[in-house]
Amino acid sequence: MNETVLPREFQYSSSRHQSQTAISGMWLFLASEMLFFGVLFLSWIFCRHWNMAGFDTGAQQTSLVAGTINTVLLLTSSATYTGGARQIEAGNVRGLIRLCALTGLLGLAFLAVKIGYEWRDDFSKHLFPGSGFALAGPARAGAQMFFVFYFVATALHSLHMLVGLGLLAWIIWRARRGAFSAEYSTPVAVVGLYWSFVDMVWVVLYPLIYLIGRTPTQ
Amino acid sequence: MSATVIEGRPNSGTLEESYLGDGFSLRSWLLTTDHKRIAILYLASITAFFFIGGAAAALVRYNLMVPEGMIPSAETYNRLFTMHGVVMVWFFLVPAVPVTLGNFIVPLMLGARDLAFPRLNLFSWYLFMLGGIVVLYSLFTGGVDTGWTFYTPLATTYAKGHVVATVVGIFISGFSSIATGLNFIVTIHRLRAPGMTWFRMPVFLWSLYATSAILVLATPVLAMTLLLLAFERLFHIGVFDPAMGGDPLLFQHLFWFYSHPAVYIMILPGFGIVSEIVPAFSRKPLFGYSFVVWASIGIAVISFLVWGHHMFVAGTSLFSALVFSILSYMVAVPSAIKVFNWIGTMHKGFIRFDAPMLYALGFIGLFTMGGLTGLFVAALAADVHLTQTYFVVAHFHYVMVGGMVSAFFAGLHYWWPKITGRMYPEMWGRAGALIIFIGFHLTFFPQFVLGYLGMPRRYHSYPPEFQVLNVLSSAGATILAVGYLLPLAYLTWSLFRGERAPANPWEATGLEWKTPSPPPTYNFAVTPEVDRAPYSYSPPTPQAPL
Amino acid sequence: MSRILLTWLALIALLALELGISFLPLGPAVRPLILIPALAMLAVILVSFMQVRRGPVIVRLFAAAGFLWLLILLALGSLDPLTRAVYPVTAPVP
Repeated sequence: MNETVLPREFQYSSSRHQSQTAISGMWLFLASEMLFFGVLFLSWIFCRHWNMAGFDTGAQQTSLVAGTINTVLLLTSSATYTGGARQIEAGNVRGLIRLCALTGLLGLAFLAVKIGYEWRDDFSKHLFPGSGFALAGPARAGAQMFFVFYFVATALHSLHMLVGLGLLAWIIWRARRGAFSAEYSTPVAVVGLYWSFVDMVWVVLYPLIYLIGRTPTQ
Repeated sequence: MSATVIEGRPNSGTLEESYLGDGFSLRSWLLTTDHKRIAILYLASITAFFFIGGAAAALVRYNLMVPEGMIPSAETYNRLFTMHGVVMVWFFLVPAVPVTLGNFIVPLMLGARDLAFPRLNLFSWYLFMLGGIVVLYSLFTGGVDTGWTFYTPLATTYAKGHVVATVVGIFISGFSSIATGLNFIVTIHRLRAPGMTWFRMPVFLWSLYATSAILVLATPVLAMTLLLLAFERLFHIGVFDPAMGGDPLLFQHLFWFYSHPAVYIMILPGFGIVSEIVPAFSRKPLFGYSFVVWASIGIAVISFLVWGHHMFVAGTSLFSALVFSILSYMVAVPSAIKVFNWIGTMHKGFIRFDAPMLYALGFIGLFTMGGLTGLFVAALAADVHLTQTYFVVAHFHYVMVGGMVSAFFAGLHYWWPKITGRMYPEMWGRAGALIIFIGFHLTFFPQFVLGYLGMPRRYHSYPPEFQVLNVLSSAGATILAVGYLLPLAYLTWSLFRGERAPANPWEATGLEWKTPSPPPTYNFAVTPEVDRAPYSYSPPTPQAPL
Repeated sequence: MSRILLTWLALIALLALELGISFLPLGPAVRPLILIPALAMLAVILVSFMQVRRGPVIVRLFAAAGFLWLLILLALGSLDPLTRAVYPVTAPVP
């Protein structure tokens, strides 16, 4: 265990004590993140309540295919990362690195679809809120409000994804330097919690953006 | 027992052996991860912010000496009270006790070597300083006139001034709060000394735990809300603009969802401090320990359910206003329970009127008055008359300043020997407590009357019939200022000339008194073990007189 | 390995269910019920990927606190707009 003793470990009674404390700390941080995104959810409730028809009209402009593909990508990425964590718990560093890299690729694919395809498409259709907003008539205010929510929420989510990708790269970098073993893989677990949480945020955003506003004929 | 060195008990610990002597370079301070040094860094910062916010308050009271306003520009006046609010709320009251006394005392009181995440602790100070610098920059280059509450559409559309810069500074400092709260919660869960079960923890720890829960759960909402506010101002996203389908009340709901629990962030640590001092200076165990503990938890939970009472006349539905009013009455109950517990502790105790106790007694009186007047404004019908008047201003200053600042000074004096290894001059300490108590009443009691008579808050000028009460209030503010400057002077003096303090000058219980004053970097030579309930005080005997 | 695969399959199945429900002719006020399968997906991720049932008790305490406080924000926060008396606009809307 010597190579994994952190210089600040003196306040802990054992490495297990420290490891469980780190995991607890991440869970508490994630609780605070739930309240952070919760503001967006309350804003969705308010905006949709006051502009239901227009808001839903805006939602109908989104690409259901892109959103669903992205959801599958993220759910899969959570599975692959969990697999990687399983691998290192069994002592398989190569397995961890491979599955971690796969997770990163899935995350990059998500961002490619979201930013590279969807956002570009939205911009070209003049769906970005502002004076050039495409929709006119009674639905305009609500639809524009939808796209405000859409861009703010997906931008913040994507920012969290970028941080997640950075953390994945850090895990891979440390794994390649031999930092992890069957006895010690706490950072892997901690990053996994964060990654799955960002996944959970998307699981909530997906119906708010792509599903609820649609009418059955779509 | 006076506050000087106890006969026959040697001074324990020298400066060189303590955390203060563990490195003298700037680097050893600015890159420290020792919770005690970080507490000192924070103490310097919040003291500076306190006097900046205080200077703004002084100018506000100066302006209000004459009905037409001493300061020619109403806009300047608005910027002054905004600066006062922003600096005092986010850069003094919210952080003060947790980051100074909390950071220093929590590990000692728990019997731990440091907090759970020492580097996160240092990082939180840098975040705090960065946020503070951004806010100060914005305030000193013209500031904002929106009030610390940034209501829309004034803040988003009509206000001239550095709204975005100010909210960015607050946004950054919010993450410092979250980090501190997270650190305390995990530390209290995971790093208690052997034998210290939850119900053997001193109330100060319970109070900081409750405070930290609010810090972690409420501050993220503020962060996102300020972000949306900035987007609204910069990009007109319309989420708070009814002409674009938004709702200005959404801002108020989100803002107060944080800001009401925030006032409990401010006061709960004060409750904890008083719960330490009153037993120590009454030589009696805390009356109803478990009631005080559950009251702290109750306050933290219920505090999240009452925010709508800031919006009774804003246009919310009558039904939701009723719900919030009822819940607001409920939140008063646990606070009242604590007051009864403190009084019960003093009853038939052996009371010493040292400075910490004087401040604590001042707290109990001033907080009770502030708390009771909160009930006035929690009543829907009364609030229609009292809202946005000086009644509300007086109410919250009674709890936040009369209450919280007194409690902070109480804790500062109580733990000063532990932190610095020096005793402060006791008579000056008592004088300061008395001056603050008197100056405070003179400043803020007239404001209850002014509010009842209808003087609006945040107004640069007022009708001439209100002048007498305003002059009284401003005169009181001068006395209050003396009361605040006095500790700055004699506490600083004590650092160089104060009597050396023993490990336990107050003969108090608690693990923090079992280390030398000041403590060594590693806190405890041997991990302490706890085998009894806290506050195991006994009455003085002929062998151990007061 | 198979536990993770089973979890993934369960999530995809819930996603399909959610998608399916969204194609039902529900009125706009009712459509938020589509979130129910999403909440189930959250539970699956929490239990299976994030292992919320393993680890010290405080892990469950923190997770529960996050959800409870989110619920307070959303429920008590929605109370006002859902019960507000809205008066008709008489001035012309630009």
